[in-house]
Amino acid sequence: MIKKIYLIGNPNVGKSVVFSRLTGVQVISSNYPGTTVEISKGYLQTGREKIEVVDLPGTYSLEPTSSAEEVAVSLLKEYAKDEIVVINILDSTNLERNLLLTLQLIEGGFPVIACLNMCDEAGHKGVHIDISKLEEFLHIPVIPTCAITGSGIKLLIERIKEAVPVSRGVLTHEERWKEIGRIIEQAQRLEHRHHSLREILEDVSVRPVSGLIMAAGVIYAAFKFVRFIGEGIITKLTDPLFFNFFQPLLEKLTSHWQENGFWFHLLIGDLINGKIDFKQSLGLLTTAPYIEFGMVLPYVISFYFVLSLLEDIGYLPRLAILLDNLLHRLGLHGYAIIPVLLGLGCNVPGILATRVLESKRERFIASTLISIGVPCVPLQAMIFGLLGTFGGFYVAGVYLVLFSLILILGMILNRSLSGYSPEFLLEIPPYRFPPLNILAKKLFFRIKGFLIEAVPVVLAGVLVINILLYFRLFDFVTGIFAPLVTGLFGLPKEAVAALAIGFLRKDVAAGMLTPLGLSVKQLFIAVTLLAVSFPCIATFIVLWKELGVWDVLKATLIMIAVSIIMGGALNLIILR
Amino acid sequence: MKKISLAQIKTNHKAKVIEILGGQNLQDRLMNMGVHKGRELLKLSHIGLRGPVVIKSGRSILALGHGVAAKIIVEAV
Repeated sequence: MIKKIYLIGNPNVGKSVVFSRLTGVQVISSNYPGTTVEISKGYLQTGREKIEVVDLPGTYSLEPTSSAEEVAVSLLKEYAKDEIVVINILDSTNLERNLLLTLQLIEGGFPVIACLNMCDEAGHKGVHIDISKLEEFLHIPVIPTCAITGSGIKLLIERIKEAVPVSRGVLTHEERWKEIGRIIEQAQRLEHRHHSLREILEDVSVRPVSGLIMAAGVIYAAFKFVRFIGEGIITKLTDPLFFNFFQPLLEKLTSHWQENGFWFHLLIGDLINGKIDFKQSLGLLTTAPYIEFGMVLPYVISFYFVLSLLEDIGYLPRLAILLDNLLHRLGLHGYAIIPVLLGLGCNVPGILATRVLESKRERFIASTLISIGVPCVPLQAMIFGLLGTFGGFYVAGVYLVLFSLILILGMILNRSLSGYSPEFLLEIPPYRFPPLNILAKKLFFRIKGFLIEAVPVVLAGVLVINILLYFRLFDFVTGIFAPLVTGLFGLPKEAVAALAIGFLRKDVAAGMLTPLGLSVKQLFIAVTLLAVSFPCIATFIVLWKELGVWDVLKATLIMIAVSIIMGGALNLIILR
Repeated sequence: MKKISLAQIKTNHKAKVIEILGGQNLQDRLMNMGVHKGRELLKLSHIGLRGPVVIKSGRSILALGHGVAAKIIVEAV
């Protein structure tokens, strides 16, 4: 009786894609090692049976050398060997390296079935694998699959029960590589291929000069593209919907309401010049949906589209190589760029992704830098919305301040924290061109995730704000912090409420700044403070879970110190 | 044959691994990725003076921090 099925394999062989195929559970997969940092579980329905399937983080070996590998290996040992089946997923284009783990699994007495994934790609690259010979050498079932299209998956499911332990002598590492060499020689045939355009591009992107030029081009294009799609959705779709359809509807429905009643205040908010103003009214049916759907969502869509594209093509690890030098000065190595980029979407997955970094020290530095200097898409969309009207100069200024903060703070942390940061050691995946439907699925999955997380909090946030404002409960908090905010940062005391709401959600908080009629300078300081000061509650909880109480306390103190210093400095430096 | 580190050999040159210095963990990690004594590598790129080194080992492309590359002793082939 099989109790559990484990999916195990080297990093970036498509375990998560196979997992989705087997269980129907959608998980994020990308073209770089270490996408799966959380263990996903799902169920495989075969006839009447329902077996739990566990997607393990990628590992090169059963002798773990990193914490992610440790997790994978320890989970594998949770059940008795006759109660589980191990599906070992291999990358057909790189059979040699993948076979190490396969041999270890067989030697370890696990019931193994091998799934040779990415078979189509291997074919394109001139790699031909003799499946029956491989089965002969390994004495286990070997099934060629292409998980992206789903071919071979049915056969894989059918043959799961054929996985049984095989007796095989335990080898040393050197012996194992020799054995693999022997297997490869007989079971794999390589066809000579000329350098394809793709390989030339792969090469260009990791050479010093051409790589940097390409990186600059990619980053610039990505930024422009995010802006283009985001703006496009706003001007062509959401703004017309809000202003030409939703506003007249709301005004009609509420025309006979008392303007100063509690419910009117809660749902519609304040009328600006006798009309609903989606940016300023602060009502549950006005500003709340406008912020989320009219300002933030378009950018969430465009950002994740571009990020997913870069992820699936496999560009990010190459960017990591180019940035390794710079990140070393911050106590990190090149791969830290992955959590930073994910953090630009939302800090929560960004901080989770710091698990790709090996040491606790690196994870502390990366998490702290992300929560201070990396603004999430909702906040960025608001920064563009609020400051963009005064000119791109101010928007660029916010990014410049945040970027400098990351550099300075990173260097300070690197100098002052004990210990050292491990070296960069990473496998670079080939470029792949994801089918559009896979990309669309991933985008849809991420947007759904955003909506589920954001909408309730935004509604609750606006509700709380309105109740607090209506009963004048903010006045108490405002009174306490007013000296700091007005004296040091040069902001009106009403801004205290907005900064406090930043703990709930950054986009709502930024939205609350609009009705205050701030000057450009004040707005600049306020949004930068929103980015730098306390992270939102969701990020805070993840920080706590990932770093532990003490490090969160440390990170929090750093955040408060940085906010006060930076806010005060900006107030002094900026003259108008 | 002159023994030098992977950080020192020229780009686009092939080399054979003679020895890997450094701790057990690093040796294990490299071993697991297929970089071990006797293995032939091709150096693809070296970013900056003290930047990472990119190599081709079998069908894998690996990026190694400068410190790691300096610990892999090779001979040119």
